[in-house]
Amino acid sequence: MTQPLAIDNLTAHYGTTRVLEDLSLSVAAGELVSLLGASGCGKTTTLRLVAGFLEPTAGTITLGGRDLTKLPAYRRDIGLVFQNYALFPHLTVLDNVGFGLKQRGVAGAEREKRARAMLERVGLATLADRLPGALSGGQKQRVALARALVIEPPLLMFDEPLSNLDAKLRVDMRVEIRQLQRANGTTSVYVTHDQEEAFSISDRVAIMHAGRIMQFDTPEVLYQKPANAFVARFVGFENLIAMRVVARDGANVTAEAAGGARLILSQERMGPIPDAFVLACRADGLAVSKDAGAAGLPATLGLRTYLGRAYQYQCESPAGHLVANGALSTPLEPGVAASLVPVAEQCCVLGVE
Amino acid sequence: MLKRFAGWTLAAPATLVVAVFLILPVAATIATTFAEPGGVFSPYIAFFNSGFRRNVLWRTLQISLATTAISLVIGFFAAYVVARAPGRLKSILIIAAVFPLLTGVVVRSFAWLIILGKNGILNNTLTGLGLIAEPLSMLYTQGAVIVAMVYLFVPLMILTLVGVLENIPEDVIQASSSLGASPAATFRQVIFPLAVPGLIVGAVLVFTGSFTAYATPQLLGGERQMVMGTLMYQRAMVAFDWVGASTIAAIMVVITITVVLAMSRVARRLNPMAT
Amino acid sequence: MPNRIHPGLIGFTILVYIFLTGPLIIVIGASLSDTTYLTFPPQGLTLRWFENIFEISAFRRTIVTSLQLAVLATALALIVGIPAAYALNRYRIQLPSWLSTLFVLPILVPEIVLGFSLLKSVAVGFGTPIFATLLVGHTLLVLPYAVRVISASLASFDFSIEEAAVSLGSPPLKTFFTIVLPNVRSGVVAAFILAFITSINDVSTSLFLTGPGISTLPIQILAHVEQFFDPTIASVSVLLMFLTVAVMAIVERTLGLTFLAK
Repeated sequence: MTQPLAIDNLTAHYGTTRVLEDLSLSVAAGELVSLLGASGCGKTTTLRLVAGFLEPTAGTITLGGRDLTKLPAYRRDIGLVFQNYALFPHLTVLDNVGFGLKQRGVAGAEREKRARAMLERVGLATLADRLPGALSGGQKQRVALARALVIEPPLLMFDEPLSNLDAKLRVDMRVEIRQLQRANGTTSVYVTHDQEEAFSISDRVAIMHAGRIMQFDTPEVLYQKPANAFVARFVGFENLIAMRVVARDGANVTAEAAGGARLILSQERMGPIPDAFVLACRADGLAVSKDAGAAGLPATLGLRTYLGRAYQYQCESPAGHLVANGALSTPLEPGVAASLVPVAEQCCVLGVE
Repeated sequence: MLKRFAGWTLAAPATLVVAVFLILPVAATIATTFAEPGGVFSPYIAFFNSGFRRNVLWRTLQISLATTAISLVIGFFAAYVVARAPGRLKSILIIAAVFPLLTGVVVRSFAWLIILGKNGILNNTLTGLGLIAEPLSMLYTQGAVIVAMVYLFVPLMILTLVGVLENIPEDVIQASSSLGASPAATFRQVIFPLAVPGLIVGAVLVFTGSFTAYATPQLLGGERQMVMGTLMYQRAMVAFDWVGASTIAAIMVVITITVVLAMSRVARRLNPMAT
Repeated sequence: MPNRIHPGLIGFTILVYIFLTGPLIIVIGASLSDTTYLTFPPQGLTLRWFENIFEISAFRRTIVTSLQLAVLATALALIVGIPAAYALNRYRIQLPSWLSTLFVLPILVPEIVLGFSLLKSVAVGFGTPIFATLLVGHTLLVLPYAVRVISASLASFDFSIEEAAVSLGSPPLKTFFTIVLPNVRSGVVAAFILAFITSINDVSTSLFLTGPGISTLPIQILAHVEQFFDPTIASVSVLLMFLTVAVMAIVERTLGLTFLAK
């Protein structure tokens, strides 16, 4: 039932513009993989290629050993959940859910039974006879989900399914989607631009940019060990500081930033450090120290904002504009000279691109 | 406060124009048919007692229903292709459908006079090919009127239905095929049902237009294929039977307005996208 | 798109388009024929039938009348129609919902009935001059286009822009002309063109309202066809076609035609 999806060397064009470049991605059986990126990054194009609404210029798509590349959309047997739900406005909720079964030649009584059972699972049994026009956004999305699940597809795909719902419902729905997906063990591809959403429900996430995958890994790795500056910025590393090594002493490395400030970094805590590198730190990973002489980057504090768990400072340093967090117990005024100390566990080392 | 009446003040001139020059005169026309010395309904009794006039009404209904049915079929399939055509070609096809609409009814009916006449193009071609020995008399037949009316209304139907078909969201059609419906099944189970309200609107436009037409039946049907419009003109301007003409006018108004109201109610009920 | 159209349907559509354009090409061809009878394809090419139009005084007069009527009726319909369309959108809650139906009534009522009723009640009843009655008839005829098309573009107009202008000190009437109208310009252009075309081609309303000495071009063509069957009719038909296209082109040049692109 559940099957792995393999996308190999996929290239696609809109007219003469290349929108996808030699993209490869494999999704293991039963895994939920998100394609995450800003609009125009190629995530929706990838989904539409797999669904069969677009033809690739090169590359192959295989689902459980079955080559889908040349197959028309209606023969691919993929459950799709659309951003705008795409319910059939002229059919009742029950007939919407039964539509795919009807195409598969499932007879009336059996079809109704299975559609009702699926509606039961998404909690809409009482709305079976309504038209989609009479449903709320969340209800429509449940119908769309039920409609895609009831055909028991070997692959489920979601195209920004929650972006039209309000924030609270979005969180509830994503839990629900993940539970249904887990229970069925269906291989799934989930397209979204919402990082929190992608990270919270996925086994693995592919961060996309300009038609390529920038990094494909588990949310934990992406969050803590981004592979490059793009991903680092994407997952919220506010500070990217270019540095070069000036001295090595066993596991400790002395590195210098622009403006001459030096830091001593531990390779035991941060992994191997090349001669030239970028130090990526979240605001949380740069501690503000009142002691201007501490072993950090000297900076002048600017605007202070209150985050609830900490104060955040916009800082000016010889290495450039930096964002750092300071303790609530010691609010500091703008203009104060301070030292920004990297917290090794919250920082990571990136190669120079 | 002036503001409370601002809406009415702005709408007043147009409202007055319609009330004074449309509603009152048309109401007066209808009213005169009920003020005959012979009795309230006497002009209508006279109309329906005349075999000739009953025939004209029946013929008009036949012609307009045939025109509507043929235009619907032609318009729907052509509109389906136009709506799915790629960008540039689509604009060309839409403009090609708009152009005949810019050309008046008289010109477009006159074209068929050249085509269908005794020495017209069709007869010349057919005799030239040796398919017929003698020219056929195609003018002044019900068929000639229907062909010309279909010609008149197909562009309108295509434009109406292209709009309707384009309003069907692309992702609904994609949802259908992702659920396993073949293109033919998608057409039957999704596209056609969603186009039905639009088809009704188009049908109403064509029916009312052809039911009350004058120039086309006059040119291509003449005296032999008299319809409600031409009969009304003949009663009013040749026979100076203004009561008779008013009676025909009243029957036309009642039939068109009934059809419009009834069908727009049906269309609204069938329109699932209304909410 | 892997969503192919059946080749049979494409063939059918090609036939439909031949059916749509063929007759117009035939009329143009017939107007150029150097014969005294109507024929297609034209035998010998000549423009003398176009010259002949202007030899016939009835055509000369009716062309002028038709143009005057179309311009005046369109202008009048816009003058009363634009405020009405504005009111329908801006003061929607204040006005009853049947009002918008009222403005499309001239489309609902058969044109031929409108013409006849105007003849009975206005022309005969009050003895109004022929041209004035025709103008009333045509104004009514084109009013629905003015109201509906402009209403449609006002429906997507954000009235808070107007409020912003007023809050910045622009008086209401000035705001309408400097803020509202420019934003619905394409609607006004579309309304103008539709109204003009409807008026200049009208037969059914004018039918009863023309009279001694004053007629419109389509009515004159209709009368001419019943007596003569020469290429003049084809050439005058072509002239009417080009008149329509010319007006569209002029309006497009001066006001910008964006509505066809939608």
